Amino acid sequence: MLVVGGNDGSDGGMVVVEGMSTWQYHLNLQSPNTSQLRSRTLNPNQNMEKFSIATVFIASISLLLALTRSFSVENPTDRRILVLLDDLALKSSHSIFFTSLQARGFELDFKLSDDPKIALQRYGQHLYDGLILFSPTTERFGGSLDVAAILDFVDSGKDLIVAADASASDLIRNIAAECGVDFDEDPSAVVIDHGSYAVSETEGDHTLIAADDFIYSDVLLGSTKIEAPVLFKGIGHSVNPANSLVLKVLSASQSAYSANPKSKLSSPPSLSGSSISLVSVVQARNNARFVFSGSLDLFSNKFFKSPVQKAGSSNKYAKSGNEQFVTELSKWVFHERGHLKAVNVRHHRVGETDEPAIYRINDDLQYSVEIYEWSGSSWEPYVANDVQVQFYMMSPYVLKTMSTNKKGLFHASFKVPDVYGVFQFKVEYQRLGYTSLSLAKQIPVRPFRHNEYERFIPTAFPYYGASFSTMAAFLIFSFVYLYSK
Amino acid sequence: MGKSPTTKDDAQALFHSLRSAYSATPTNLKIIDLYVVFAVFIALIQVVYMAVVGSFPFNSFLSGVLSCVGTAVLAVCLRIQVNKENKEFKDLPPEHAFADFVLCNLVLHLVIMNFLG
Repeated sequence: MLVVGGNDGSDGGMVVVEGMSTWQYHLNLQSPNTSQLRSRTLNPNQNMEKFSIATVFIASISLLLALTRSFSVENPTDRRILVLLDDLALKSSHSIFFTSLQARGFELDFKLSDDPKIALQRYGQHLYDGLILFSPTTERFGGSLDVAAILDFVDSGKDLIVAADASASDLIRNIAAECGVDFDEDPSAVVIDHGSYAVSETEGDHTLIAADDFIYSDVLLGSTKIEAPVLFKGIGHSVNPANSLVLKVLSASQSAYSANPKSKLSSPPSLSGSSISLVSVVQARNNARFVFSGSLDLFSNKFFKSPVQKAGSSNKYAKSGNEQFVTELSKWVFHERGHLKAVNVRHHRVGETDEPAIYRINDDLQYSVEIYEWSGSSWEPYVANDVQVQFYMMSPYVLKTMSTNKKGLFHASFKVPDVYGVFQFKVEYQRLGYTSLSLAKQIPVRPFRHNEYERFIPTAFPYYGASFSTMAAFLIFSFVYLYSK
Repeated sequence: MGKSPTTKDDAQALFHSLRSAYSATPTNLKIIDLYVVFAVFIALIQVVYMAVVGSFPFNSFLSGVLSCVGTAVLAVCLRIQVNKENKEFKDLPPEHAFADFVLCNLVLHLVIMNFLG
């Protein structure tokens, strides 16, 4: 255990390294005076040299240690998350959400959105695995962060939660538009619902709505049904129905519309009905996951704790469904659930064990792959009955559903088709909420060798018989002809 | 019937004259004729079989039919050469003709075996 402590009594900044835990890599933010190597035998001059060497050494080790604790293939759950707020009061007004994330093991790094020291990357490596943008009013981020930097961040597979609000800036709207989510263009429009607003003591203009139109998915929202409606107050967005990567997790009801509550409607609103999405998720092709919410208050303590009653229904719930909804979604977006990996692709002829380099037409072969699902702490076998393997050359010649032994092994056996060429074993698995699996393994297939055909063709037996019988007839004839009188 | 000669009477008369003329041929020629009829019969069987099941191993079909046709042709050649009534081959010894016949049949059956597959 290496202890680096301040020698002077004024501000003893102790930085302790104990194996792999509780390491703060903001070493560079601390003043160098407080980190001095404690030594009793060296005199002060040698102390200064030792100090500079030690600082460089510790800085490099800290960077390496910080990087090893990031998202890795073996442990896909995110670890370090950057939270950008435009008002530090959000830390306390949304404290239930943040403490629940920290209790699940995430390291949250809170920064103001215009903090000039914000950096997502250093030396080409990403410093965080996830980004939470709770800064709807920010026009410009501090530091080197802009729309391009955020898109680069998600293109490398990292996750994102973005919460907008009635005062959402163009920056947030642009980020959302790049990811496939289109907020209402009218900057003063909010979602109003006169049919399913949340009943409250004050009259209200029906902008606080109680939504319960959830997407039907156990992976996204957990296996327990969310009973109470979710309180929402903010702007709505629409998603392109042709986009298969974006899903509407919480849609508005049929009577909702997006308009300015303070002014009269001059024309029918552009967004209305259940095509308004209140919370959407996107799973990109590189398996980065995003959550876009039109309401920052959805995550707040006030909404978590408040009772809810939907207008027109007599059910009163003592607690809204916000906390359960937000917790389950955060489990999904930070890869604690629904993350699959496929390993150990094997194929061989029936009866053999090693993988041949080439197959022959009409061979019988077996293909197997192991698929595991991340449970948040360990890899569990994935159980499903719809994983298919294709034997593909320009089009699938064989498409077979694989059977599983419930321990994660999926296997299928089939006959190689009567076509030769270079084929691929392809597994393309895309299911709602799960990471997409796309495996391809190339294998050539050759025709018969000249000695692999059947020796005697049964259909030709009469011809064989005829030829031999003419030979026999010739012999008999020559004897009869020569020795008859 | 004693009326004008009908076709049926003509055919019967023709048939009788053929039979009586044929019975005058020498025995060795009759043996050759039997051999030819056998070969043609085998060829017909093969053609009917191919018409029924299709010509899948076509080379085998050709080989079988060729063996029959070849033996028939060679037998007919032998018959021509040993027929004493044939003025053209008067000076050819029948043993010579038979030896040619045997050699040609050997070549024929070699080809057949090769092409049979």
